[in-house]
Amino acid sequence: MLHKLGHHWNVRSRREFFTQAGSGLAALALGALAAEEAKGAGKADPMASKPPHHEPRAKSVIWLFMEGGPSHIDLFDPKPALDKLHGKPMPESFGRPITAMGTANNTLMAAPRKWKQYGKSGLWVSDWYPHIAEHVDDLAVIRSCQADGLNHVGSVCQMNTGDILAGRPSMGAWVTYGLGAANRNLPTFVVLLDDKEVIGGPKNWSSGFLPATFQGTQFRTGDTPILHLKNPKGVSREQQRSKLDFLKELNERWAVDKQDDSDLDARVRSYELAYQMQATGPEAVDLTKESEATRKLYGMDDPDLESFGRNCLMARRLVERGVRFVELYCGSGSGWDAHNNIEGNHSKWCRVSDKPIAGLLADLKARGLLKDTLVVWGGEFGRTPFNEKGDGRDHNPWGFTIFMAGAGIKTGQTVGTTDEIGLRAVEAPYHVHDIHATILHLLGLNHTRLTHLHNGRAERPTINGGKLIKELFV
Amino acid sequence: MAASTTGTEPKQKEFTAMQRRWWAFQPVTKPAVPVVTRKHLVANEIDAFVQSKLEAKALPSNPRADKVTLLRRVSLDLTGLPPTPEDVQAFVSDNSPEAWAKVVDRLLASKHYGERWARHWLDLARYADSDGFKADDTRPNIWRYRDYVIQSFNEDKPYDRFIKEQIAGDELYPNDPQALVATGFNRHFPDEYNARNLMQRRQELMFDITDVVGSTFMGLTMGCAKCHDHKFDAILHKDYYRLQAFFANTRIEDGAALVSATERAAYEKQLAIWEEKTKPVRDEMAKVLAPMRQTMWKDGFDKFPPEIQESITTAADKRTPIQWHMYYKAKPQIEYSDVDVAKKLKGDAAKRYKELQAELAKFNDSKPADLPLAQSMVDNASESPKTHVLAVGNYAVPQYEVEPGFLSILDPAPAKIVKPAGSHTSGRRSALANWLADPKNPLTARVMVNRVWHYHFGRGLSGTPSDFGVMGERPSHPELLDYLTATFIENGWSLKKLHRAILLSNAYQQSSDYNAEAAKTDPENKLVWRFTRRRLEGETIRDAMLAVSGTLNGKMGGPGVYPPLPPGVITRGGWKKDEDTSEASRRSVYIFVRRNTRYPMFEAFDMPDTHESCARRNNTVTAGQALDLLNNELVLDWSRALAKRAGNDAGMSAESRVERAYRLVYSRAPKAEETAAAVAFLQRHQPVAGSEQAAFVDLCHMLLNSNEFVYMN
Repeated sequence: MLHKLGHHWNVRSRREFFTQAGSGLAALALGALAAEEAKGAGKADPMASKPPHHEPRAKSVIWLFMEGGPSHIDLFDPKPALDKLHGKPMPESFGRPITAMGTANNTLMAAPRKWKQYGKSGLWVSDWYPHIAEHVDDLAVIRSCQADGLNHVGSVCQMNTGDILAGRPSMGAWVTYGLGAANRNLPTFVVLLDDKEVIGGPKNWSSGFLPATFQGTQFRTGDTPILHLKNPKGVSREQQRSKLDFLKELNERWAVDKQDDSDLDARVRSYELAYQMQATGPEAVDLTKESEATRKLYGMDDPDLESFGRNCLMARRLVERGVRFVELYCGSGSGWDAHNNIEGNHSKWCRVSDKPIAGLLADLKARGLLKDTLVVWGGEFGRTPFNEKGDGRDHNPWGFTIFMAGAGIKTGQTVGTTDEIGLRAVEAPYHVHDIHATILHLLGLNHTRLTHLHNGRAERPTINGGKLIKELFV
Repeated sequence: MAASTTGTEPKQKEFTAMQRRWWAFQPVTKPAVPVVTRKHLVANEIDAFVQSKLEAKALPSNPRADKVTLLRRVSLDLTGLPPTPEDVQAFVSDNSPEAWAKVVDRLLASKHYGERWARHWLDLARYADSDGFKADDTRPNIWRYRDYVIQSFNEDKPYDRFIKEQIAGDELYPNDPQALVATGFNRHFPDEYNARNLMQRRQELMFDITDVVGSTFMGLTMGCAKCHDHKFDAILHKDYYRLQAFFANTRIEDGAALVSATERAAYEKQLAIWEEKTKPVRDEMAKVLAPMRQTMWKDGFDKFPPEIQESITTAADKRTPIQWHMYYKAKPQIEYSDVDVAKKLKGDAAKRYKELQAELAKFNDSKPADLPLAQSMVDNASESPKTHVLAVGNYAVPQYEVEPGFLSILDPAPAKIVKPAGSHTSGRRSALANWLADPKNPLTARVMVNRVWHYHFGRGLSGTPSDFGVMGERPSHPELLDYLTATFIENGWSLKKLHRAILLSNAYQQSSDYNAEAAKTDPENKLVWRFTRRRLEGETIRDAMLAVSGTLNGKMGGPGVYPPLPPGVITRGGWKKDEDTSEASRRSVYIFVRRNTRYPMFEAFDMPDTHESCARRNNTVTAGQALDLLNNELVLDWSRALAKRAGNDAGMSAESRVERAYRLVYSRAPKAEETAAAVAFLQRHQPVAGSEQAAFVDLCHMLLNSNEFVYMN
């Protein structure tokens, strides 16, 4: 059977083969293996902690998703040539792309920002990000990112799942599938939103063709972050316990002559876990436990920053408790989408995100968490050097910037370049698949070996692509 | 307008002998029924095939399950609902030899059968009520497809006809409105009407259609041949595009009225009267809208690259087939409805338009009612755009041209296409439909028979129902699969006859008991030595809870319904509130399927993502499921209703209330020790719960959470 598998397959044991093959033909086989190997011990628990492929550098990822597409050429990738070409049509030599809004014939627009070099590394950051700028020595600024989608829904989807068409598992789901849970009382993959919905909605943290158990859990606003975490109205914890004890009795009696069926046992255990989560979930997200100084560090004393600051602080608490993948959206619902008035739009969103992110980086570092937490900042694409509607910019998936921090990567550097006007990545271009491969690698997962048999193909997170961003590895 | 093509057809690889001999491509034969020694275990031919394999391995098979277990099993299996205590009583007391057959026939005749089995088909069809992508807009009439599927199962529509209607109903049965609804099968792709790169979008839709047709009807992973020859199966790169070419001319048609010619004539007559009366008002309205309409048209137009703009501006009689497709795809971004244009009006224009609307409304009495519409797929014209093999599946890198054709290993020649005379359709899909539904097609019937077995037993005779290729699982009982397939075709592709044969076999009626000896040789139960116990799907759990609590609203059909969502769940595109609260208690198959946000309870219980065809659901056990059934207010509401139904009044003894609850929930009476345990629970729990009634509600709640309820045994 094994020799038939074509797409990158490296099997160490029969158990691993079936684990990697997941629930395809193998779920049935897994059940059988469990029956064979460990009668009564229960079938392979999908959330059980699994060994990584290699020594990981990071235990967790915090992905700061600036949804809508922040402008790289106004934040991290200064383009003096644009000042000179301001108001002129784009020279043909740059190659005219099809754009979302048909703006490629519009004139080029300079970035009216004050730029400065920061830190020992002297990295350039514009005056839109003064607080983050103070941390440049802890950042690797990757200026040569590329994606495939022209519009938000496809591009947000690709940044999460690798494909512009919905249906594939998101990175957080792959990580959960690959590593299992580090803390069984909390979800392993958590999504935090602003008050609006992300474009494309929950498809972006879906488990796709992987079992639903690996999907992201969107923390809800209010005091019940997880769906149905609270007891129904008027039901006390004591009452819940008493009910669950009776349920256990019912289930155990029914299972007396069904001892072979580990699924039944798994279901019994799932209720105990749910009960545990009910106790620990609310504590994890209870920010009243944090000091005033900490809240201030995240900008929570400023009403405009409070919401995103809260999510950043929450992300730190979750990572502290072993959550592997936290994705938090800033500007959910295409907030950063500055087709016009980029001045107003980016001034707002940069202010909202600057201090909380700087606070998060400082806090993670102070607590010794940054060394094994990977922080990723970026949108689904960047923005065009030519104007839209006179004072805005269109979508740019051909060249844009993300930054990474933590996880022992080489920081205080820029990676790759875009052309003179910031339209296309030229040196060391890195596609979304490469970003994904790198993130997985830092977590100890090899993107070519993290596979799941689906429709006859050993699917992997990077589809057919993916290479490491080698500059990050010293 | 396509990029210049590169290359001519390369010399194709020869198929290997192994590929030519591959089991799924061999003609279906009807094997002789094996002779077995365990004759007493043979209820019908199926058992002879099953016992023959078991005998060869010297494996025992389980005895018949008890009657209550059997009745619950078959009721959930065929209708998705547990039996009522009266059903149980009737079956248990019927000692005639036909008792079981009577039950099977009753359930097959139930309208709930279609509701249950349609759900399986909807998984394959990636059915949803909305577009997906960013806007996730509602598809207002797509529910008619869901109802069509339910009705087709209920009336036991021959499966060959069912295929033909879904692939080419518009061409093959032009006078049958339901056949037009059926073409909705290929309309279920996720879509984004305002995509900018229309060539890419069109290609993505054709990929979706090709993949889904390949997996659903042919049981093959066609998608693997999108970029190159299939790595394992005898599917050439070009075969993918040969299959796709059948759909090259197909486009969305959402405006076709589902009425007879007479009804249409009556409608048009009445409409003409109304139009005559309202002409002055409507003319002025059009005038008010005109400038904004023009602006919106231009806004849309300007955003397109030159070749799309050219497709729009080229005169109708000059458009090439591909330009027609681009025009149809661009249309929703330039030609807006009156309602959409009116929304953008401001100031005086808006005010005047409102007045005119009021004026127009005065004539509503003479306006004919809107006609029911289908969301369907039709051909653009009789001439199709060319289809090219695409390098690595990239629409921008077309290679050599191909004509519509079937799998080369079965028939390397181009398909014979007959354009229906005098009609605006190519006839391509009819050719595909006829090939698929041909009794000589080695795949179609086998694939469906295996699916039916899969849904009954929890695994198919081949464990990979949509992959009959090399990476799939070879059938455990190839002779049985062929025997059933041949019989299925002889029986006019009747699914109900197939169900009946399977359900009347002893194989189906076995208990699920464990047998260490058999499990050692065959741990996965591939040889069917027992019935495999399995967890119910989320939809069935909900339906069963509604049923046993007596709150199920059995109304069939119609637009999707919107039961309340848990607090904190937001959905773009909206979740309407049903005016009639009893709508919230309809069967799960009628719940609106918002593509980007699955109904949370179903999502927790592995309802498939609706972005691609799903042949076999995941079956997980998670804490999220436990939280849902424990803390969801709806489940508690049903528990209260169940408690009430079970006689939650002070006058009844605890014992008799427990007994009633057991009979409703588990279809059986409690044993003495169970009653004692339940009564003990009620006593110790009452102070915690606050009252006798509250304690009994909690008892009912836990019965609904228990494994015995949530499993089909």
